[in-house]
Amino acid sequence: MTAEPDTALRARLEAFVGQPMGASPSVAPDPVNIAMIRHWVDALDDRNPVYLDEEAAARSRFGTVVAPPAMLQTWTMARPTIQGLAERGGAPGPLGPSALTMLDQAGYTATRATNSELEFERYLRPGDRLHSATVVESISDEKRTALGAGYFVTWVTTYTDTEGGVVGRQRFRVLKFRPAR
Amino acid sequence: MTTSISAGDELPVFELPLTASVIVAGAIASRDFMPVHHDRGYAIEQGAPDIFMNILTTTGYVSRYVTDWAGPDAMLQKIAIRLGVPALPGTTLRFSGRVVSAEAGVVEIELRGATDIGDHVTGTVVFTLPVAPGAP
Repeated sequence: MTAEPDTALRARLEAFVGQPMGASPSVAPDPVNIAMIRHWVDALDDRNPVYLDEEAAARSRFGTVVAPPAMLQTWTMARPTIQGLAERGGAPGPLGPSALTMLDQAGYTATRATNSELEFERYLRPGDRLHSATVVESISDEKRTALGAGYFVTWVTTYTDTEGGVVGRQRFRVLKFRPAR
Repeated sequence: MTTSISAGDELPVFELPLTASVIVAGAIASRDFMPVHHDRGYAIEQGAPDIFMNILTTTGYVSRYVTDWAGPDAMLQKIAIRLGVPALPGTTLRFSGRVVSAEAGVVEIELRGATDIGDHVTGTVVFTLPVAPGAP
């Protein structure tokens, strides 16, 4: 694309900065549980015994089995409606107004995650029920990238337990771009 | 398990041959149903050469790479990664890393996961180890 940067679009995107994102806040569909941990451990062939082996976990500093820390984002992922998968845009379900849907509608339909920064306050245990609250931190100007012209959208998610204690934080960045065919 | 860790130590290289199964299993286990991670035709429409690993799975392998080496008492405080080239079926992801600092039970690792066309992931992991009683 060689069009001039769309300053009207850029201005409309700016209105989302500092605002809650999408369906935020959200609650995990299921508490932290062994079945999903086992699924993850097998998918990634991660044999760290503290994730499933109760005896080994009891001997460890954790004292009990804990969820793989990298699963933090997984617990609050939205339940998908697979048929149609948000009319093949790929979202788990219909999206409300957001910077991402605005970019989709403007033709920046492709998404590539570029950065993830996770911080863990504590490891999660089976039974923990996660809540997440996400705020849009920044949206770049239109950039020309190897993938095509697009915008970098960055959001920050705070994960809390049922008591409101912060268990982790994440800064996440995606490039929304016009796919070059 | 590593008994003593010092700045400059290298982590052993870990090679992960990538198949569509590895990529799809990770995407679904992390509850990421974006079709670019399981539907080749869709991925190609979106400008990618094939399905590619999702960032949650990459993060999971980064965590595994560090704890496979550091042992089950390592407790991660931070994983910060940046993605480069996509991780595609038919390639091998080769993880390497080194200790940037190790003081008072807090260890910082700098690592990368590279394919034959460049770095798929670069980043930093910080973890703690229990400090033995009487240790300085």
